[in-house]
Amino acid sequence: MFTFRRIALLVIALAVLGCLGAGGLYAFNRVTYANQIAETTVPAPTADQIKRGHYLALAGDCVACHTAPGGAPYAGGLQLNTGFGIVAASNITPDRDTGIGGWTTKQFILAMHRGIGDHGKRLYPAMPYTAYAKVSDADLTDIKAYLDTLPPVNHAVIANQMPFPFNIRLMMIGWNMLFFDFGGAEYKADPTQTAEWNRGAYLVQGLEHCSTCHTTKNFLGADEAGKFLHGTDLDGWWAPDLTSNTRIGLGSWSEDDIVTFLKTGANDRMVAAGPMAEAVTNSTQHLTVPDLHAMAVYLKSIPASDDTGLTPVPPTDPQMVAGRAIYGDNCAACHVLNATGVPGMAPAFVLSPSVQAQNPENMIRTILAGGHVAVTETNPTGAAMPAFDWKLSDAQIAAVTTYLRNSWGNAAGPVTADQVAAKRQQIGARERN
Amino acid sequence: MTSPIPRRDLLGTAAALVGTAATLPVSEAAEISGHLPWSASAGTPPPAAPAEPYVWEFFTADEAALVGAIADRIIPADELSIGGKEAGCAVFIDKQLAGQYGQGTNYYLKGPYRPGTPQQGPQTLETFAQRYRQGLAAMVAYCASKHSGKAFIALSADDQDALLHEMEGGAFYTGPVPSSVFFNQLIQNVREGYFADPIYGGNKDMAGWKLLGFPGARYDYRDVIGRRGEKLDLEPVSLMGRPGWNPA
Repeated sequence: MFTFRRIALLVIALAVLGCLGAGGLYAFNRVTYANQIAETTVPAPTADQIKRGHYLALAGDCVACHTAPGGAPYAGGLQLNTGFGIVAASNITPDRDTGIGGWTTKQFILAMHRGIGDHGKRLYPAMPYTAYAKVSDADLTDIKAYLDTLPPVNHAVIANQMPFPFNIRLMMIGWNMLFFDFGGAEYKADPTQTAEWNRGAYLVQGLEHCSTCHTTKNFLGADEAGKFLHGTDLDGWWAPDLTSNTRIGLGSWSEDDIVTFLKTGANDRMVAAGPMAEAVTNSTQHLTVPDLHAMAVYLKSIPASDDTGLTPVPPTDPQMVAGRAIYGDNCAACHVLNATGVPGMAPAFVLSPSVQAQNPENMIRTILAGGHVAVTETNPTGAAMPAFDWKLSDAQIAAVTTYLRNSWGNAAGPVTADQVAAKRQQIGARERN
Repeated sequence: MTSPIPRRDLLGTAAALVGTAATLPVSEAAEISGHLPWSASAGTPPPAAPAEPYVWEFFTADEAALVGAIADRIIPADELSIGGKEAGCAVFIDKQLAGQYGQGTNYYLKGPYRPGTPQQGPQTLETFAQRYRQGLAAMVAYCASKHSGKAFIALSADDQDALLHEMEGGAFYTGPVPSSVFFNQLIQNVREGYFADPIYGGNKDMAGWKLLGFPGARYDYRDVIGRRGEKLDLEPVSLMGRPGWNPA
């Protein structure tokens, strides 16, 4: 018969074992880390290498996270809301005290490939090492060579601002075992595909880390198996489906549509806004057209996500009738009554994947708060959408969104006033006048 | 030779200008690239439509009743549309007088003071709020003297019209200016109230726009521009929408 004492003993024994295990793991961690980063002399990087490194750093869009709003580029400090707590991006300028100036190239590669930082400290996967694991040693060596040429900025960042228990970095060892260790490896070319396809896959899966935003996440924030680029919510924005799904993905886009979108921030059908505008401005616009085309070829080859046919809401529905009136009076000046839009400026809504997205939050928030098209070298005066929060009620925005989602060949679920009210509150939009 | 501007004034102004030039700030022009210096919600939205029941902000209850009655004689209700009072013209004027318009904030009210020409627009130091306060008081007094103590609102429509005609002819003074000036001000403001966007308090249910066939604050006519000579019957749109925007 179990007595209280026996249970207590058992608990103590388990606790001791646990502590020993954690301590051992920690010690092992420190020893292996020292071995992993031990480096012999490395030849000084060539100018060409640094140039390549710069290009690759742009492809990786390091600057997006490793720069605080208004702060020095690459000096860190941006707070990322992971859903589990705040992680601040680190300083990756070559400052020896607060940046990565003292790091060896091997140390850098270990962080990028395995998520193991200074002194064996586990990084949080907010830093997408799960994607960067695909990047070759040679490319990472060049990126480090480029980062070493940046002006060192002394800027100490408190990276770990997670609440307990997520602030225990060693927990990431378990997370990696579950979601990363068996899959995370350098990109292996698929010999059955073309060199261009492989280049595209390397960029999409690796440096461009598209899956970080566009892949459905499980309850622990890891990519859900079998949902690669199926679209997901990211901090109040919907990162859309990038599979070949013709209704909600890239199935109806040509390779050139994708290239133009990533190069200029807009194409004849759609514009990049929100977080994607930043990705285009900071990263994809700087890629060469051959690299972008390779990405397009690869993206177009991703099998379509599952999609059940939907019947559009009938035009006689009260939401559709009101939505049509609102659209004609407010939206048609730029988006045109037959929804053909203005190429490169105002998105078209005919058979539109973004309009039909599983989650209508991008449209709701853009109608509420307005938005900006990505500013690029080819499109330097990115168009803007005005805010309608002061003008349209929740029911009216729900009606016009429902109308968009079910007109011009689109078919998608209706939107409720409650959804709009929640979004209005979430993004701090104004109340209607 | 006489100069329209005295020489001493001119010299004084020139000296002041030289003094200003020396202290002008360095140009703040900047080259902008990589982003647009504009945010979608930066602008101030137009004012919200007045709440019901309306609480007078500038007029006393008596003044409000008087302005309503005047508005109903300037734009009387008929078989085509509602009158000025029901359209909310007094509410519109009240809101204007309580705000920047009433304080004359967009007028230059500093010296030098000289009589101007009619082409130069209003040449007075009194604000529109003061003009209304003085003008309505003078009107009350004039009406009482002409109609043995009766108030304007108690007169018959014909008597009201007759009094307004006298006012138009400058029969009495409203503060420093003849009553004709105040009369023209009333005509102007009642019209504005009848036809301005309903968010400003008048033009109830866009009655003024429906009367004219004005389609309101629409952005785009490309889909109807080809339909020449045809009555379009477009429902007018206020800055805050129209009934058709609400899901039934």
